[in-house]
Amino acid sequence: MAAVANFDNIFVRYDLVGEVEAKGARVASKNPALQRVMQCVVEGDTDNIVDAVNEALKVADPLEVINEALVKGMNEVSRLWDEGEYYLPQAIIASDAMLMGLEICEKKMGQSLEKKGVVITHTAEGDIHDLGQKIVNALLRANGYEVIDLGKDVPVDEVVAAVKKYKPVMLTGTALMTTTMTAFERISNRLRKEGIELPFVCGGGAVSLEYVSGFDLGIWGKDASQAPGMAQDAVNGLSWQQMREKWNA
Amino acid sequence: MPKFDKMAYASADEMIFGQAKSPVKYGRDFTVGGGYVFPELVPHPRPGTEATKKSLMKEYEKMVTDVLDRCVAIGIPGIQVELEHVYQMTKNPDWGGEIAAQTKHLMEEYYRKFGLRSAIRATIADYRKPDEEDIRSSVALETILKAFEESAVGGADNLSIESVGGKEISDYCIVRQDIRGVLFGIGVLGSRDMEFMWKKIVEIAQKHGATPGGDTNCAQANVAMFMAGGYQDRSVPHTFAALTRAIAAARSLVAYEQGAKGPSKDCGYEDVIVKAITGIPIAMEGKASACAHSDLVGNLIAACCDLWSNEAVEYHDMFGGTTSAVFTEILGYDVALMNTSIELGTAKQLQEMMVYSDKYRDMHGFILSPENAYEIGKAIVENNTSYYSRAKAAALKAGELMMNDSQLKMSKFERESLQNALRILDGLPDKEEDFISECIDIYKKLVPGFNPANYGL
Repeated sequence: MAAVANFDNIFVRYDLVGEVEAKGARVASKNPALQRVMQCVVEGDTDNIVDAVNEALKVADPLEVINEALVKGMNEVSRLWDEGEYYLPQAIIASDAMLMGLEICEKKMGQSLEKKGVVITHTAEGDIHDLGQKIVNALLRANGYEVIDLGKDVPVDEVVAAVKKYKPVMLTGTALMTTTMTAFERISNRLRKEGIELPFVCGGGAVSLEYVSGFDLGIWGKDASQAPGMAQDAVNGLSWQQMREKWNA
Repeated sequence: MPKFDKMAYASADEMIFGQAKSPVKYGRDFTVGGGYVFPELVPHPRPGTEATKKSLMKEYEKMVTDVLDRCVAIGIPGIQVELEHVYQMTKNPDWGGEIAAQTKHLMEEYYRKFGLRSAIRATIADYRKPDEEDIRSSVALETILKAFEESAVGGADNLSIESVGGKEISDYCIVRQDIRGVLFGIGVLGSRDMEFMWKKIVEIAQKHGATPGGDTNCAQANVAMFMAGGYQDRSVPHTFAALTRAIAAARSLVAYEQGAKGPSKDCGYEDVIVKAITGIPIAMEGKASACAHSDLVGNLIAACCDLWSNEAVEYHDMFGGTTSAVFTEILGYDVALMNTSIELGTAKQLQEMMVYSDKYRDMHGFILSPENAYEIGKAIVENNTSYYSRAKAAALKAGELMMNDSQLKMSKFERESLQNALRILDGLPDKEEDFISECIDIYKKLVPGFNPANYGL
């Protein structure tokens, strides 16, 4: 076999251009117990988060553990992800750790932390590819939203009924195939008929901006990582038209 | 239980496009792996046409006619059309059956008039939900099997599927970079589910004189590969996705152990490893599947193909005709080039060019280049004591190959991800029963709905 001595004119490894030098987490707490909790979140250490939170609760109240360790740790994870140091798996396992910690704190408080808002998520009827939805769920929960997860292959009627029941700030739909995403338009039509208006973020696989912009309520979600930002806009009262303008224009 | 204990080829050097140790003949004078490469065109209906059987049949009639017309227009000697079921075709088995019959009728007409050789692959949609139902006894399973029957009766020559066993575990683990779970979900659960499914599919194919084609790890390894994406994506490390692919090879092999004959499914990127072990003909997709998704193996993946596919192209108009016609033409010229090199005796040189185009572009291309694929295949057959042991061996071999080739560049993050995964794999139990027991304990707690009974455990 002949050998190629120089690949430079065949392809360019752009992934190695400007490679991010790992600098690690920036946050620190003077309280060693809170620092340990934060570290568990930043490192996605689900093996030790329970122990770390229980230790922290001996020296701090649950709200302090939540705000000064769990939330701060998660914010730092978001920064590391935004800056290219972390990949999606690091963000997901960090959110796993964060949510485990949060559950312990909520138990201790005797009540759930007030959520920023309710978001309903589902994967379209006929579609069993729900990984994108699961990522959206994890990111929304880690950012303080209550997620009503309707699951996969969800009939249009069920989605409409859930919106009427839970009155979410935002609805999301995931589909891999173009022949299943057509359910989104049917959902939109049904909601409009019922006089319901809310942002309906649709994304996944072959779902396109052109398609989602073709029906009322629809906002195209390019990437799961956009979900918390979109939910925040919905909580802040942006209409679906304003959100479409902001995220899709 | 694993069956293959030796390689079909004496070395990677023997492997070439267009030629398989065990060619398959079916359809209208159509032979796959018998010396030349043929295109496999996969048309996909426009959204909305799936609303009724009538509108969907009309859409398929137009798409398939465009394919056959373009073959005749530019002189393509033969073609396979894949009817890759949208879920409505599987959930309503008569739809899939009638579309197969309609396609067969069109193909017979072109064979009679022009001598155009052709065949039909029906790929049934696996819409079982492992985390929500008993996948060994459900309405979904019954319907899927009925859809196989009706498609075969309608005239499908090749029956295939993209089975989803173990997906509930692999989905959870791919986004958490958990190699142990990926090995469990794909290597063990996926293999066990394929053994269950393929016994039934082969039986149906034999009953109706169809050929049991193949399976693909689209639902799992392709998830990892597509999430790894291009150079700027940061969803899954590329090294991790490559390990997932190696594990997938040990799993997709099960179809052929249960009696499938090939050609394999186009989106089974692991199939070059499968061909090295089994000698079956394989369908592959690369640059011409950019209409459906992007990958980093556009040329290399054709190195050992017997069918050359476009994955799926939605039906629309383009300047040069409809997409079905245009992609038929693209594939037709691609295979004409390959077949010309076969006629000229320069196929190995063309293969070499394909391989070098992409071998060091990304980790996936690296492990799927014929010589590395062959080594991974050897690791699989040499460790065939259990589904687990051979899948683990495949991953370890792929990792070793990636670590030891100085021309394969990777970022520090990618290298650390790989080293970490290899460390975990090295520390796993030797015996399958110990591994399964450990994984059931772990993932029953972590993955809602995971039911070991779905896999006979």
